[in-house]
Amino acid sequence: MKQQIKISLLSVAVALGLAACGGSSNKTPEKVEPTTFDFAPSAMITNLSNDVIVAGYTILNDKAEALHQAAQTLVNTPTQANLVAAQEAWIAARAPWEQGESHIFGPIDAMGIDPALDSWPLATADLNVVLATPGLINATAVKAMNTDVQGYHTMEYLLFGDGLTDNEKDIAELTDAQSTYLLATAEIFKGYTQQLEDAWLVGIDGVTPYQESFKTANNAIYGSNLAVIEELITGMVGIINEVGTGKIADPFGADIGSIDTSKVESQYSWNSLEDFANNITGVLNVYNGEFTGEADQPGIYDFVAAGDKVLADRIKAEIVQSIADIKAIPGTTNLPFRQAIADADGRVRIQTAIDSLAKLEKSLEIDAVALLKKWSGK
Amino acid sequence: MIKKIISYALCATTVLALVGCNDATKPLQQKTYPQYTDVIELGGATTTHETSNSGHGFSTPALNLTSSQLEQHLAGDADFELSFTSAPNVQHPDMDGLGPVFNNVNCNACHQRDGRPSTVVVAKGAAPVLLTHAAGIFLRISIEPSSQQCDKQTAENNYCAPIAVPGFSDQLFHRGVLQARHDWTSNPSIGQADVYLSYQYSDFTLEGGEIVTLKKPIFEVRNPYDAPNEVFNQGNNNSRLFQDDVKFGARNGMPVFGLGLLEAIAEQDILALADPDDSNKDGISGRANYVFDKIKAMANDPNPVSIGRFGWKANTPTVRQQSLGALRGDMGVTNPMFTQESVARTPLHDDYLARTNWQDTGSGSDGAPEASAQFSDDVTFYVETLAVPARRKIGDSEVRQGAWLFEQLNCTGCHTPSFTTPTNIKIGGLDAIAALEQQTIYPFTDMLLHDMGEGLADGRRDFLASGNEWKTRPLWGIGLTRTVNPGAGWLHDGRAATLEEAILWHGGEALASQQQYKELSKEDRAAVVSFLMSL
Repeated sequence: MKQQIKISLLSVAVALGLAACGGSSNKTPEKVEPTTFDFAPSAMITNLSNDVIVAGYTILNDKAEALHQAAQTLVNTPTQANLVAAQEAWIAARAPWEQGESHIFGPIDAMGIDPALDSWPLATADLNVVLATPGLINATAVKAMNTDVQGYHTMEYLLFGDGLTDNEKDIAELTDAQSTYLLATAEIFKGYTQQLEDAWLVGIDGVTPYQESFKTANNAIYGSNLAVIEELITGMVGIINEVGTGKIADPFGADIGSIDTSKVESQYSWNSLEDFANNITGVLNVYNGEFTGEADQPGIYDFVAAGDKVLADRIKAEIVQSIADIKAIPGTTNLPFRQAIADADGRVRIQTAIDSLAKLEKSLEIDAVALLKKWSGK
Repeated sequence: MIKKIISYALCATTVLALVGCNDATKPLQQKTYPQYTDVIELGGATTTHETSNSGHGFSTPALNLTSSQLEQHLAGDADFELSFTSAPNVQHPDMDGLGPVFNNVNCNACHQRDGRPSTVVVAKGAAPVLLTHAAGIFLRISIEPSSQQCDKQTAENNYCAPIAVPGFSDQLFHRGVLQARHDWTSNPSIGQADVYLSYQYSDFTLEGGEIVTLKKPIFEVRNPYDAPNEVFNQGNNNSRLFQDDVKFGARNGMPVFGLGLLEAIAEQDILALADPDDSNKDGISGRANYVFDKIKAMANDPNPVSIGRFGWKANTPTVRQQSLGALRGDMGVTNPMFTQESVARTPLHDDYLARTNWQDTGSGSDGAPEASAQFSDDVTFYVETLAVPARRKIGDSEVRQGAWLFEQLNCTGCHTPSFTTPTNIKIGGLDAIAALEQQTIYPFTDMLLHDMGEGLADGRRDFLASGNEWKTRPLWGIGLTRTVNPGAGWLHDGRAATLEEAILWHGGEALASQQQYKELSKEDRAAVVSFLMSL
């Protein structure tokens, strides 16, 4: 790996030297990097901004509103059916968020939205103190509290219980304080998802809409379209790395004696494998340029294919394989992730998924990134 | 002083650029471009090219680490993002120890993607905004009795360290764990006081009539724990914070890449640039700060003082002291270097311990500090070994013109382009890794303090730094600031939304350069900014 980095480093230095000439045709031919390729990026970047990133945030915002409504219904009419409906609304709201983790850049970080929505670990001791303090259970008070008692995992804990032995909750176990707190958290949550969509689409408090900076490079945020494409590819690399070496590997441990279920993501709902698969589906969305099942649109695949069709197809197959390997982890006995890490056969299947993700990460991090240096439009 | 170019690849680049551009139809320009004009690898062999156009430009390990060093760096990377929770956290004891009062919950929150935090946005005409989890800025506080000057550093005067505000600390912790305050049921998760922010706007006219609107942050402290609901100068001023001898200074998070290289710069190379009495009469003095050195103190050195290198006023000597000081201070997580909470023995802390019956704050259930030695070592190593991003748009004629102007305007009078790190050096009290040695680097800082004028002054002394003095900021990577975090701003309180605004805030010793800048043509001003954006 190290050697490959050094090679590409040298090639970028040579290429940059040539770029210094601007439009001059007076190049020294023997120094020209022979394998440059052309690709017009505008349609791809516009499509990824509109129909993948912003479209995903719109879905997230809609699902957040549905979750908020489900929480309201549960408060008004606390029945088992309404609790299950709220659990399902939480799972539905989780999917677009996890898919969106393939492009964690821009307002989601800059506005502090990520920690407000997805903080981990929870401060469950603090949460229980607040639940015993009726005057604090309202949206204004909760929003002012630390983010480790807000967001997805707080709602998950309230809806599903502690997840230690099962991921089911009886309506009799749901206290009034819990459902009221859930409603307050869901209301705050919906406020943040609205902000996220608005920050990309229309801008907030006079800040330029992020989509403008993204689609019209050569500004203070993106100096070039190369920067935008590099951002998209490294975003995909980032989540693949996190799933393979963090989300899965940390609880998995070096061997069956060193597992740590406390590190499992979405451990209360047992939704972990859905989370991981959605993370990589998010990679597929950016790569393909459309959500699964939609008509073909330009995505990172098209950029890679313009430089190396074989590589483009290989990466697509590796993404699909990684998703399949994650989905295969439960096996025939249908083990959730937190049980699979403690199961000998489950561990074999998990290792297969880790290996697939590592291979995919390398293809994007080394091979696709190397194409950036060869692109004539950089 | 400035060493010649570094690597074969770079030489080849420069030659190609020059050969290719000396088009026969254009006469060779007579002006001499500074040596740094076409340099790409600002961090020597640590420099990263792989992410240097986009948002991970500050987040890449130095390219020349060994595999075991890379492993430690990656462990520190995870630690840098770890969010601490209040203690005790039975399920995640290794992640507890936050607070009880603090400014943020993990390193990344104030150094987003290893760069600057977002400047808090206040819509024009809106009410002041409360600093919350999304803010990466806080207030340093101290008392300065009017009778006391401090220019001779002794053990008795604590080497001229700022004097903590009694009952508070030397930093105002505006957030807290849920029950930090005695009045927590009406102030949940509030720290020592609330801090609100608004802006004051002023217009600045450039050559040609162009008007730039500058904004200056106005911080307002309300609701201090020793006088709840009190607001400064609105009714009573009973809080200790509201007394006349208390000084406030805002501090924004700053980028954390390339820091090991800055610590590796030889002290004599920095001192060679100092001119405390302006003996050459160029209007620029340049003074070294000398500061308390915790590593020397832990080794029982009778004079635990070293040259200051890090922080906005160069008030810490090493990356290790800076990082672990922030871990204990900004997050309230004690560690082997700082074993006591910043607020230990203040009424807030005593009350918190008694009221919550949590007797172990300041240490884990094992009695050891909240962050382990391993955590402390790894997170320090991480920020010592983050790569400097490579430059972009090298050879662009506007960038080259800007590089030339940068020297003509004497920006280089303080933003010293280059150093070469020596061999056989210590970093944070340990032998430096080879990756940081003998590197020719282009940080564009002299590492010295300069009077930057009243516009930027915070009026608060910090060791030998006066209220008007600030350390020259490194400029490497500065063009990627808003790529890494689109909400980021420049200067010690994040007030500048553009590099031009940052230039226009330069006063004091930098006033002559600033005046020359504003008299440039619009094209030349754009060229200076383009050069900075290429860094």
